[in-house]
Amino acid sequence: MKLVAFVIALAIAYQALKGYRLTKQKTLWYVHFSFAVLSAGLLVDSLAGFVGIVARTFRGTIAFTSIGYSIYFFAQLLAYSILIYAYVSQTRTLNTPTSPVLVASLFGFATLQAAPGIVARLLGSMVEYHPGSEILLLFLVFYVAVQTGTNYSATKDRNALLVFLAFLMLALSHLFFILQPISPLLFVIGHLLQLSGFVSFLAMLLRVTRNQ
Amino acid sequence: MKIYVDIMRVIQREENRAKPTRILYGANLSYDRLLKHLDELKTLGVIEEIVESDDRFYKLTQKGIEFLNQFRAVERFATAFGFAI
Repeated sequence: MKLVAFVIALAIAYQALKGYRLTKQKTLWYVHFSFAVLSAGLLVDSLAGFVGIVARTFRGTIAFTSIGYSIYFFAQLLAYSILIYAYVSQTRTLNTPTSPVLVASLFGFATLQAAPGIVARLLGSMVEYHPGSEILLLFLVFYVAVQTGTNYSATKDRNALLVFLAFLMLALSHLFFILQPISPLLFVIGHLLQLSGFVSFLAMLLRVTRNQ
Repeated sequence: MKIYVDIMRVIQREENRAKPTRILYGANLSYDRLLKHLDELKTLGVIEEIVESDDRFYKLTQKGIEFLNQFRAVERFATAFGFAI
């Protein structure tokens, strides 16, 4: 599932890079960088999972999956922070009023930038597959989902709807990962939602790239 | 970049054969600026000038059509994420 998500994220990153080369718009560079980081994280996590399964009969299975998840976690953290920064920088350019959510996100982003040591210590205990780390990701993806939802409500564009649905499903997947101690089924639903989110990105990509 | 695209879109809208006055009104430019941009676009190879008797027309080259298609895809992509180009 994650390999499929990796390919889609890479395709999004490539399209954003093409757009940046054509228009030199910084926001497109942020989208490219964000999805490139996300795809790298997905690749590492899926490969680590694969190696973990292969090495199940040997020692160190947990170490493989833990390292994979840790890298994927930080990749997601960076990717979503970059996207938030892109939305914040655009909001600054457009000079629209600052919302409380925006301030909270800026604070989170600034904290990550200003005190990497403290944050690293705080996150150190969370980077294994733990609901705590998912709360942070849920907050970040939810902010991006709100931004893309606002964009859809303003434009009523189908591609914007697909992007909004994608981020909404990613946010919901993190919510299900948080709730997974309740039932293992929620973990499976979380993964299915994650895949659906990336499929929604793919649908958007196919729509925008076809000649009209 | 946006002005270039606006000019090229006007030419395409005029069934790929636009007089300078049509481009002038369509792209909302002064005459001096229009001539300057048309020269730049010709140098880039995305439009070409056709002179027939006393009339002057501009049309998109294959490179220009491909550029506009690519730009539209990028515009749709950026709009989907809520970013303006």
